[in-house]
Amino acid sequence: MKQSLSRQSGVQSVEVSLLNGTAEVTPKEDGQIDPAKLLNVTYDSGVTVTEMNMTAQGKIVKDASGNLALQVEPNRSFELVPNELSNGLQNLAGTQTTVTVRGQLYKKPAGKKKKADTSAPLKLLILEVEKKE
Amino acid sequence: MTPKRIALLLLLGFVLAPVSQAQIKHIEMRVEGMT
Repeated sequence: MKQSLSRQSGVQSVEVSLLNGTAEVTPKEDGQIDPAKLLNVTYDSGVTVTEMNMTAQGKIVKDASGNLALQVEPNRSFELVPNELSNGLQNLAGTQTTVTVRGQLYKKPAGKKKKADTSAPLKLLILEVEKKE
Repeated sequence: MTPKRIALLLLLGFVLAPVSQAQIKHIEMRVEGMT
């Protein structure tokens, strides 16, 4: 799994803890990393991902359907799962304010033993707003 | 190199630097079935 993840573009380092059952991925300084790809690569290496959390910075935007999203790159954004924290960011939509957030991108549905559907776009459930600038 | 050209290069550097920074800072996965 570590080797498969390390080979992905934009990945600087991968730390795997057998004891805690975690894999931590640090992107390169200028790396454009794709969380959905990392999720699939991890599944393909034979382990089951139960949860994926991400720390990212970007701008709050509204997509074509009017949903809030965190835009991390010009061509990559993550729709926000509505909660109290995302509601608090609503007034930043369309502004130049950059926010740094920690959130959950994926959680394995309870009770399913086989591979979950990872083809659906990942949505970001904000757990913590670290910085606004 | 002329001072004008140096100034232009510096200006370009300031403009492009934020764009090249990674926006995704960290990813952590919880996994099962790891041996």
